[in-house]
Amino acid sequence: MSIEGKNSPKKTDILQGTLDLMILQALDALGPLHGYGIARRIEQVSESALELNEGTVYTALLRLQQQHWITAEWGASENNRRAKFYSITKSGRKQLAREAEDWHRIAGAIGRLLRLSTQR
Amino acid sequence: MARRWRLFSKLRYLWARDRWQSEFNEEIDAHVRMLAERFVARGMMPDEALYAARRQFGNPTVLKETRNEMQTFIWLETLWHDLRYGVRVLGKNKGFAAVAVLTLALGIGANTAIFSVVNAAILRPLPYLDSGRLVILWGNVKRVRVERRGASYPDYRDWRDRNHSFAGMAAFDEAQFTLTGAGTPERIPGEYVSQPYFSLLGIKATLGRTFRPEEDQAPQRDAVAVLSDGAWKRRFGGDPGIVGRSIQVDGRLYRIVGVAPPGFRGLTDEAEVWAPFLMAGSAADFNERGSRGFRVLARLKPAVSLVQAQAEMDVISTTLARAYPATNEARAVELSPLDRETFGELRRPLVVLLAAVGFVLLIAATNVANLLLARSESRQHEMAMRMALGGSRGRLLRQLLAESAVLVACGCLAGLVLAHYGIRALMAFTPLQFPSYVQPSMDAGVGLFTILICCVVAVALGLAPAAQVRTAGFDEALRRGSVRSTGGRRSARFRDALVVAEISISLVLLIGAGLMIRSLHHLAAINPGYDPSHVVQLRVSLPELAPSGGPDADGKSDAKVIVAANDILQRLSALPSVESTSIASDAPLSPSSAIFYTAEGQAPMNAQAMPRVYFHRVSPAFFHTLRTPILAGRTFSEDKIHGNANVAIVTENMVKRFWPGQDPIGKRIKVGGLNSPRPWLTIVGVVRELKYRGLPQNPTADPDLFQVFNERSRDFSVLVRTFLEPAAMLAAIRTTLNQTEPSIVIYDAGTLEDLIGQETARPRFTGWLMTIFAGIAMALAMIGIYGVMSYSVSTRRREIGLRMALGAGRSEVVRMVVRSGMLLVIFGMLLGTAAALALTQMMATLVYDVSATDPLTFAAAAGVLGTVAVIACLLPASRASRIDPAVALRDE
Repeated sequence: MSIEGKNSPKKTDILQGTLDLMILQALDALGPLHGYGIARRIEQVSESALELNEGTVYTALLRLQQQHWITAEWGASENNRRAKFYSITKSGRKQLAREAEDWHRIAGAIGRLLRLSTQR
Repeated sequence: MARRWRLFSKLRYLWARDRWQSEFNEEIDAHVRMLAERFVARGMMPDEALYAARRQFGNPTVLKETRNEMQTFIWLETLWHDLRYGVRVLGKNKGFAAVAVLTLALGIGANTAIFSVVNAAILRPLPYLDSGRLVILWGNVKRVRVERRGASYPDYRDWRDRNHSFAGMAAFDEAQFTLTGAGTPERIPGEYVSQPYFSLLGIKATLGRTFRPEEDQAPQRDAVAVLSDGAWKRRFGGDPGIVGRSIQVDGRLYRIVGVAPPGFRGLTDEAEVWAPFLMAGSAADFNERGSRGFRVLARLKPAVSLVQAQAEMDVISTTLARAYPATNEARAVELSPLDRETFGELRRPLVVLLAAVGFVLLIAATNVANLLLARSESRQHEMAMRMALGGSRGRLLRQLLAESAVLVACGCLAGLVLAHYGIRALMAFTPLQFPSYVQPSMDAGVGLFTILICCVVAVALGLAPAAQVRTAGFDEALRRGSVRSTGGRRSARFRDALVVAEISISLVLLIGAGLMIRSLHHLAAINPGYDPSHVVQLRVSLPELAPSGGPDADGKSDAKVIVAANDILQRLSALPSVESTSIASDAPLSPSSAIFYTAEGQAPMNAQAMPRVYFHRVSPAFFHTLRTPILAGRTFSEDKIHGNANVAIVTENMVKRFWPGQDPIGKRIKVGGLNSPRPWLTIVGVVRELKYRGLPQNPTADPDLFQVFNERSRDFSVLVRTFLEPAAMLAAIRTTLNQTEPSIVIYDAGTLEDLIGQETARPRFTGWLMTIFAGIAMALAMIGIYGVMSYSVSTRRREIGLRMALGAGRSEVVRMVVRSGMLLVIFGMLLGTAAALALTQMMATLVYDVSATDPLTFAAAAGVLGTVAVIACLLPASRASRIDPAVALRDE
């Protein structure tokens, strides 16, 4: 995954959407997390399939905050370090539901398409 | 919704930017450390683990920048940066910035100043109610040409009662009132006005009321008056109980009924007191259909156009002419919008000046564009470098625009300051008489105008170098490294074009100014037929000698006036350094009136061709005082004023009309028709045609007639020829007059040259402003040529060095540089001449006795500009000739 740049907006948009969706899903499933925790969760569920510059997570976090889908709060980490914890908001959950539905629909469509072309 | 949160987040960021950034640093730190700990747990060495963690995290600087951009109003931020950078860049080039800002300030300031005058005099409506529908009615007569005469009271009554076009009509006439009673007698200007006058103008009394309809119904019945705010405050100390009090005006008690609002001085713009129109004369006067002289104010009904109203008045005039052929034949009415009456004379010169000052701005902007271009070329390397490092083209353009915006903003501010003082100076020194309510100032309209021209200039200035960023080959500029770019052929051509434009515009302005100067010379060279230098003129009134106004029957007060007049002559002549003194019913260039006359033996004539003469009564020494030569016959013989002597001195035109080729001396004329009861006057002398009633021409070609002063009026002019500076004699003359007759009222005192000055105020005003503008334009053009030539010399150092190394002499180098500069100049002059031929037509009505295409002026302007241009080229040329070939070639 590359850092978003001005040169390839289309690709970034897709990746942005994917990353945003993964973060929202993680926060929804696991409750408040700090950036490091989110990165670990993504690493875990994607089975390292997404090569991630972990800093990119923070760009996505800011974007989500600006939409007010997540909020941030300072707290203490497992080993008592000061860390910023992010949690999903009500409108964030709605957005997650919407995006998940979209994703399923597109994924289903693409899956069907691929099946058709392999059968031939 | 989401948009609102984003805006909120960004706004918060504006506040707590530093905290936000340090918190993020902390977050990154924590993340990287936790990641490193994880690697250590997997068995990495701590150093290695930290390195791996950092790599996995990515570049924190880029991340921060991305997040920063997300959090800010990007365009605002960059604009701010660009502006700050612009200020810094200009700060580093103080000389350049100063020249550019000053140039722009001159152009913008001059434009704002002139525009504020135009705005005040032309664009703002007159300070009256719905002034667009107000018109002035002039009674006119068709003689050799149509002449304005004014209305007679019976005519006015018919116009008023028969028309359907006007909502209202009011006669008005200027008058001089003598205020006596408490304190020293004072002469105050006023107006006789018909009752609807104030309501037509929408003027309401601030105290009391204006006139009632019944107060303007019978001649000499209602002695009521309205005071101006100024007269009320000055003479009555702003007494709130003034209404109902009486003042003595022209020997009669007038009851004050009201006070006009501040600033209102009537349509004559000098009235201090108003009286009902029917107080102006006797019942007999108001029945004289043929005695014309006042104007009529009227308001068009809402749906009626000027053309329709004119058509109706034409019909009414025709009807009147048929009903009263003796007095109304060939008489018509002319409708003229009030604002044209007020500003008609000023409009043309102001428009020409606005055009001229626009040209000055054009030159100023061209100059600054040239400077910017030269600079942008020397910065080409910087630009190329920045683009190579990833600066986007748009960003560089934006920055160039921001730089020029900073320049123009500074120029604009300085220009506004300049305009502020410019307007004051303009109004302080203008020889033109603007109406008192025309007070140019920086109002919203002027501000808008200034901002508008500043924006246009800013964009134009930014785009000039921007065009170069677009066309310049940056790779090439970079590759050349430190070798100075000579600027593309294309940009050089662009700069040359700017110089050509500057030269041509300057030439247009110089020619315009030249025409005005020539015209002023001609005006000054006019021989009016008398010598105005060293002559004091003033008007006096002797109210106490004839307290009841009109002439009395027994002539006793006439005798008293003559005694007093002789006394005045004697005492003034006895003053040291007085050469000659005389008395006249009216001084040159002061109002006088014409009468019909009959020459003995002339064939009967119809009313239109009836000969007319302007009638003046003068004391015997009059022609001596004015140094007017007697062409034939003699001057008045007695050296004292005496009773009626039936002799006259006339001007040449009368002789040419009735006795061409004959000896006019001894011929006789009579005032009025052949059957008039007036005595025959014998012509004893002839003088050349005098410019007695106007400069450069008398308004009509009628002759003037002078008779011995035997004035029935208590009002006359005193003319004193002095050896000393006439203005310095004024005080002594006043004192003497006051000693001679304690009740004397002195007014309109000044010199004869002042009177002539007023006649030529308009051309002088236009002339000197045009000269200033042309001077500025020429100076700017000179700087422009100098700048371009020195730049081109500096970029051609190597070439010039090479030429010199190969044997070119200094003079050859000088000639080469001057030749290339003069080529542009000559091209610009050709263009300018063509433009001037078209544009100076606009000035044809402004100049006197000069053709708008006067070849001498064109040649002189070209000569001056050419000389200045050669000088501007010579400096860089001589610098070029001092180039040391060895140094120039080694440099590269």
